[in-house]
Amino acid sequence: MVSAVTERPAAARARTNTRRYRDTKVAYLFLLPLVALLAIFVIWPAIYAGFLSFQNWSFYKEPEFVGFRNFIAVLNDPLFWASVGRGFMFVLMTVPPMLVLAFLFASLVVSVSRRFAGILKVSIYIPTIISSVITSIIFVLMYDYSGGLLNWVLGSFGIDPVAWIGDPKWALLAIAIPAIWLGMGLTSLIMVAAMVDIPTEFYEAAAMEGADWWQKTAYITLPQMKNILLYLLITGFVAAIQQFELPLVMTGGGPLDSTTLPNLFIFNHFRNDINVGYSIAAALVMFVVLGSVSAIVFKFVNSERLVD
Amino acid sequence: MRITTRTRRAAVAAVGALTVGAMLAACGSGTPGEAAGGGDEEGVTTIQFWHRNFTPVENEWYEGIIKKFNESQDEIKVVGTQVPGDAWDQKMKAAQAAGKAPDIYTHPGSIQDAVNAGQLHELDSIVPADALAEISDAAKPVSEIDGTYYAYPLLLEPQAVLFWNTDMLDKAGVDSTAGPTTWEELLDACAKIQPTLADGQYCISPAQDAATFAWSTVGQQYNFAGHTALTDDWTKADIDDAGYRDMMEQYKTLWDKGYMPKQPLADYGGGKDFGEQKVAFKVSGSWMLSEIGSDYPDVLGLTGIGPMVNSADADGRTATTLGNFKWVIDAKTKNAEAAGEFLSWAIAGDPENLVPFFVDTQFTKAPVRQSVQDAVAADPAAADAPWSTVIVDDIAPNAIPEPTYPWDVSLAVGTAFESVMKGSASPDAAIETANNAIQTVIDREGLADKAPSE
Repeated sequence: MVSAVTERPAAARARTNTRRYRDTKVAYLFLLPLVALLAIFVIWPAIYAGFLSFQNWSFYKEPEFVGFRNFIAVLNDPLFWASVGRGFMFVLMTVPPMLVLAFLFASLVVSVSRRFAGILKVSIYIPTIISSVITSIIFVLMYDYSGGLLNWVLGSFGIDPVAWIGDPKWALLAIAIPAIWLGMGLTSLIMVAAMVDIPTEFYEAAAMEGADWWQKTAYITLPQMKNILLYLLITGFVAAIQQFELPLVMTGGGPLDSTTLPNLFIFNHFRNDINVGYSIAAALVMFVVLGSVSAIVFKFVNSERLVD
Repeated sequence: MRITTRTRRAAVAAVGALTVGAMLAACGSGTPGEAAGGGDEEGVTTIQFWHRNFTPVENEWYEGIIKKFNESQDEIKVVGTQVPGDAWDQKMKAAQAAGKAPDIYTHPGSIQDAVNAGQLHELDSIVPADALAEISDAAKPVSEIDGTYYAYPLLLEPQAVLFWNTDMLDKAGVDSTAGPTTWEELLDACAKIQPTLADGQYCISPAQDAATFAWSTVGQQYNFAGHTALTDDWTKADIDDAGYRDMMEQYKTLWDKGYMPKQPLADYGGGKDFGEQKVAFKVSGSWMLSEIGSDYPDVLGLTGIGPMVNSADADGRTATTLGNFKWVIDAKTKNAEAAGEFLSWAIAGDPENLVPFFVDTQFTKAPVRQSVQDAVAADPAAADAPWSTVIVDDIAPNAIPEPTYPWDVSLAVGTAFESVMKGSASPDAAIETANNAIQTVIDREGLADKAPSE
């Protein structure tokens, strides 16, 4: 294209412009459905939510303007901040273990035979396609106090039953485990893909220098996977702090709010409050919190183009 | 070549246009229809009726009464929807937000908030005055506000009743005919029962999480303290006293001594643990007996029933609130007349329509109309249900109505009970936390202006 422009500038530019114009038209056409859907389901609701967060509205009477009162109520609500703190705790309980486990698993997959790797990949991916509601129910049955599998196993060692989802000490951990189980599959597969992409020459060169597994991992694998790890960290963080179905189905947020994660907190308010202003304001504050944390993570861990 | 490219472009553009068209069309057709309220064809008014999923016999009654009404006339068609209890709130909220709330639906608890928010249609203009006049005094607080009726009650039912398994009590040498009447007697009984229990069996299954404490123990709070969670003028929390502390300690004892399971074996309102004979005592609403009757008929004969145990300082006060179920009509309905007609016919008219409801639920609920009470008592099966007198005569008449203050207040108190019981906080700390939480609600909702006038 560049050579064409140098040969016959005017005509070529005209043609390029036409093509560009034509391409742009088609591109807009293809973008339209997505933009239309975004506008209907994201942009307009977001604007409307912003408007409603300054109102008290019960769906039956005209919305009543209350200024920043809903936001002040949210910001002054210790229960809201406790749920946000709990969300971060949940992130710590789920994301690092999931990344470590998935990394180990992916390392195993790339080092075994292709056939066995196939079996491993399928088996790790199965939890991903199971609905989290089904998972919740299965884990509730396993955690059952008097008839559950877990306490039965403990009982055979003479240990008293533990109230896994009835005791505030255990409950958050008890829902973190199915969260890890559910998230492992996709995380592992993405890591496998990233590892396969690392040029084998690096490892061969390192092997010739006498590097062991730890050194290869620390100096080749991890640096080469930086962008993938960053991606998994951010998506894992956002998914974990927004976790909703597991506590809703397994514990309803109890005992003693110990599993009331931020979204469940907002949902409970939406469900129970007569006016929707508070829950919308809380959701918007949550949006700001999540956005800020993601921005901070990006600031400290920059994604860079890999140097080949 | 040129033609090919152009053709290809045209084809791509056409596919693109088709996609866009299809997606936009999908958006269009996705809009819910107008059937919710209007849907009239040939002079037939269709009304939507949502009711909660309960025990099988109750669900059957709801289905039956709708069918019977539809067959009794040809001007109004009622479409019933049975909604699972735990999905009710979000389903209703979503429907209200979309302006698609059902014309008529069931409603538990207090109507104060819903009336303040303008969600309920008044009944005085659409339900016959004599039918409204028949509502008993005990049910008036849940159906009428400032002289206007907004709800027609179907039933009243005590929310905290003590059930016991006579076999398990007999085995431990505890009197199973009368059952304990005070907390002291209950704890003594548990001390005797505990050694006789197998693995996985417990002495008692009471309320044990914050939300359940919040609604089910208001009567017990009154029993211990002589008042409920707010001062009369709704300007302050009123839980910092010996009564509340004593009650917290009693539950803590049940927990610490292992008399109750550390994780619920069944819902408070459900009878699974009692039906499977995993607990000797169960605290639940009177309705639990109907589940025992339908799902665990063998245990029904072993079931003792009595008022919830009393504090040493109860001084004759009740230990239960009176729960209720009402039918209400949505304020935005376009078919208020038709909905009112269905309501009047089904629960405010011929008592015979209601008799099967109370008989099949094992006489565990109290009707709110004298004519219905008489018709139910006259049913031959009443003689085989000795507990009905315990519920209707011993427990219900003294019971207090459910509180009208906002749920968040009750929840703060419930959280305090759960924290003390589970040892997460001392009574002082739990009460202070609850006080602060309640004050937040009082300020946020401006409760001082909403306090009941009496």
